[in-house]
Amino acid sequence: MPDVPLDSLAPGQTAHVVALDPAHPLRRRLMELGFVRGAPVTVVRRAPLGDPVELRIGATLLALRADDLRLIRVRA
Amino acid sequence: MTAPAVTRPPTLIPDEAACADTLARLKAAREPRVVVVGNPNVGKTTLINALAGTNLKVGNWSGVTVEKREAHLNHAGRRVHLLDLPGAYSLSPHTPEELITRTALLDEAPDAVLNVLDAGNLERNLYLTLQLMDYRLPVAVALNLVDEAREKGVQVDSRALSRLLGVPVVETVASRARGTDTVLDSALGHATLGIGVRYPEAIERAVEALSTRMVGVDTLPPHAHRYLALTLLEGDPSVRGRLNATGHAALVQAANAQLLELDTQGLDPLIEIAEARYALAGDIARAAAPQAQARRTVTERLDALALHPWLGIPLFLALVLLVFRLTFTVAAPFVDLIGGPLQDTLTGWASAALSWFPLARDLVTGAIIPGVGTVLSFLPTLLVLYLAMSFLEDSGYMARAAFLMDRAMRSVGLDGRAFIPLILGFGCNVPAVYATRTLERRSDRLLVSMILPFMSCSARLPVYVVFAAALFPRQASLLVWAMYTLGMLVALAFAFVLRRTSYPAEGSGVLLELPPYRFPTAQVLWKHAWRRTASFARRARTTVLATVAGVWLLLAIPAVSGASFATVAPQDSLFGRVSQAMSPIFAPLGFGTWQATGALVPGFIAKEVVVGTLGQIYLGEQAARPAALGLVDGVVQAGRATWDAVVASVSAIPTILALPSLNADATGDLNTPLATALARAFTPASGLSYLVFVLLYTPCIATVGALAQEHGRRFAWTTVAYQLATAWVAAFLVYLIARAVL
Repeated sequence: MPDVPLDSLAPGQTAHVVALDPAHPLRRRLMELGFVRGAPVTVVRRAPLGDPVELRIGATLLALRADDLRLIRVRA
Repeated sequence: MTAPAVTRPPTLIPDEAACADTLARLKAAREPRVVVVGNPNVGKTTLINALAGTNLKVGNWSGVTVEKREAHLNHAGRRVHLLDLPGAYSLSPHTPEELITRTALLDEAPDAVLNVLDAGNLERNLYLTLQLMDYRLPVAVALNLVDEAREKGVQVDSRALSRLLGVPVVETVASRARGTDTVLDSALGHATLGIGVRYPEAIERAVEALSTRMVGVDTLPPHAHRYLALTLLEGDPSVRGRLNATGHAALVQAANAQLLELDTQGLDPLIEIAEARYALAGDIARAAAPQAQARRTVTERLDALALHPWLGIPLFLALVLLVFRLTFTVAAPFVDLIGGPLQDTLTGWASAALSWFPLARDLVTGAIIPGVGTVLSFLPTLLVLYLAMSFLEDSGYMARAAFLMDRAMRSVGLDGRAFIPLILGFGCNVPAVYATRTLERRSDRLLVSMILPFMSCSARLPVYVVFAAALFPRQASLLVWAMYTLGMLVALAFAFVLRRTSYPAEGSGVLLELPPYRFPTAQVLWKHAWRRTASFARRARTTVLATVAGVWLLLAIPAVSGASFATVAPQDSLFGRVSQAMSPIFAPLGFGTWQATGALVPGFIAKEVVVGTLGQIYLGEQAARPAALGLVDGVVQAGRATWDAVVASVSAIPTILALPSLNADATGDLNTPLATALARAFTPASGLSYLVFVLLYTPCIATVGALAQEHGRRFAWTTVAYQLATAWVAAFLVYLIARAVL
C-alpha cells in the first residue's frame, strides 16, 4: 500500500505514521508527541474556517495546519 | 491494515555505579531541593499549591516573564526546597518555558526530581519520564488525575508502573488534595534512579564514546553524561550552544564526528532515540494499564459543540461578549464606588485634617487621592476579567478559541493564539499585554503587544458616547461601533506590516495542543487572578501617582503675573500655556484649540480622564471640593455606599444575558451641559477627527507600564511614539474626508 500525505485523510480516518519530512518545521516536537514510525494517527475534524486540522495521536488531541500535515507521510 | 513493523523492543540497563553519588547526596542534603517536572496540563500547579500551601512564593525566572513557583517548607522534621519547573513535553526545549526547565535541571543542582504524570495519557507522559531517567538523578513519580483517567476508562496499576519504571509511584488527585501527603515522603525517602532506555547498538556506542570524553571534567557531573551525550546526538541546538560557550567545543566536535559516522550507516539518531523511548513508553503503558478502553469522553462531547462547523465560532463570540458583560456589570458598581463615594469620603477627611495648610490640602485632595483612586478604580474590573480569563484558560477553552480563529489570524501573519490577547484588549489593554505571555515565540509577543493598544478598551467608550451625544445623536451606536471596528482594522493592518518589516515570523509550523476540559479549582483561579491584579496595583501606584501629581502641579503653577499658586484659572496656568503652545500641531486635524489639546494630556494617564478634563475646561467647572467631613459621618457614608454597590452588583448579574446594546450608556448623557458645549466647540468633522485621535493616540500609562515590564522601556516608548504618529495621520485623513463629505 502506498504512502500518502496526512492531509489527504478525511475526518474520522486513521492511518499509521511512516515518516516525517526532514524539512518539517515541527519534526522534533512531533516525534516527542508520538509521531514515530507505526503510531496510529486519526484526523478528528477540520476547524470551521477549513484550517487547522485536529488530530488524535495516542491520548493526545492536537491541531496542525494543513501545510504541516502535508509533510507527514502515513499509510492506511 | 498493515502497520509498519516497530523496531525490536529495547531492554533495560542497570544503574551505573558512577551515578550512585546522587542518591547519597539526597540522603545527606540538609535542605534537599526537589524539582517538580511534568508535561503541560497535568495539574502540576494544583499539586504544588496543595503541597506548599501558604509557603508558596510566586516570582519570575530572571530575565524572562515565566512564573517561578517555589517553597521552603518543613516536611516530617526536614527542611525541603520545592521548585516547580514550567510544563515541558521534553527536555529538548521548544518554548521559553521548556528552556527554563532544562536549564534549571542542569544548573539548579536538584537533589531529586518529582515527575508528575497524567494517568489518562500515560504513553506520552512517559516519554518525558524516560528522558529524565537518562539524566541520572533520583526520580519519584506522582501519578496525577487518576480520577479523570478512570472516567475515560483507563485504570492504571500504580504498583505495576512502579515496578516497571523502577521508581516509587504515588497516585494523586491534586485538585482534591488526595495522595498529596505521601508524595513528598516518596520523593525524599524513596526516589531512585530507575530504569533506563537501551538504545540501538550504534547509538549506545556513540553515547559511550562521548561519555568517556566527559569523565573527569568537573563542570560535567557523572549523572549528566548520558543525557548530554544523547542530547548532542539528537542535534539539540541549545545544548550545543551551551557547551560551545562553556569551553566544551571539542565535545561538540566529537559529537559531530559521531553523527557523520551514524549517517554513513543510514541512521538518524533523532528518529532512533525517539522510537526507542516511545517503544518502551508504549510497552510500559500497556503493561500498567492493560484494560484501557476508549470511552466517549466529556471532552469529545463538549468539543462536538465547541468546535462545531457552524456553531463553533458564534458560540465563541457569544462567550467573549458574556465575559465582557460579566466584567462590566459585576465590577461597575464597585468602580463607581471607589471613584465616587469612597474617594469623596477620603477627600472630606483630608480637607478637615489639613484645613490649616491649604497647599497640602489641595495637593492631597486634588492630586494624590484622585490619582490613587484612578488606579484603584481599575482593580474591580481587572479582578473580574482575570477571574473569567483564568477560568477560560484553566478549563482548556482558550486552546479551542485559538483553534477556531487560527485561519482568520493567519491572513495577517499571526496564529490563533494571538486572538486571545487582542480580544481581551477590548476590555482593558493591561491584562491583554500580560496575556501575550501565552504566545510561544518572542516575535509574536512583541508584535501583538505593539498592536494591542489600538484595540478600543472600555475606558475610551465614555469619550465616544459624549461626542456621539453632542454631534451625532441619531447615529450614536453606529459611531461607537465604527470606532471599535476602526481600532481593530488599524491593529490588523499594522500586524500585517510589522510582520513583514520589524518582526518576521520565527520558524514556521503551528502546533496547538487541545487539552482535556477540566473544571478549575476555585483556589487556583483565585490565586491566579489575585496575583495578576495585585501586581498591576503595585506597579501603577508609582507611575500613575507621579503623573497625576505632575499634571496637578502644571495646573497649579500660574503663567501670568498676578495669579497665585493653585488658584490660577486653567487657561492661565502653565498647563494652559503648554497646551496652547502644542495646539498648532493639531490644527491640521481640525481641533487646534488649547482646550481640546489640553484634555488629551491627562488622557495619557487614563482614557476615562479625558471626559472629566473636557468638562473641567469647557464648563469652567472647578473640581468641586467636597465639604470637610467628620470621622463618623465619613464611615457611615462609605459604609452605605459600599452596601449599595454590593446590591447593585448582585442584582445586575441576571442582566448579563440580556441582548447587548452599545449605546446603553449614552441615554443618560444626551443633553448634558458638556454635550451642548462640545456641539458648539466642534464641527462634526473635527469631532470625528478628535475621536479617531483619542482611539489611536497612545496607550494609557498603566498599559505603558505593563509594556515596559514585559518587553522593556525602550519597546514601551517606541510603541507610544509610533501610535502618536499613527493617530495623527489617521485623524488628519478622517478630517479631510469628513470635511468633504459631511
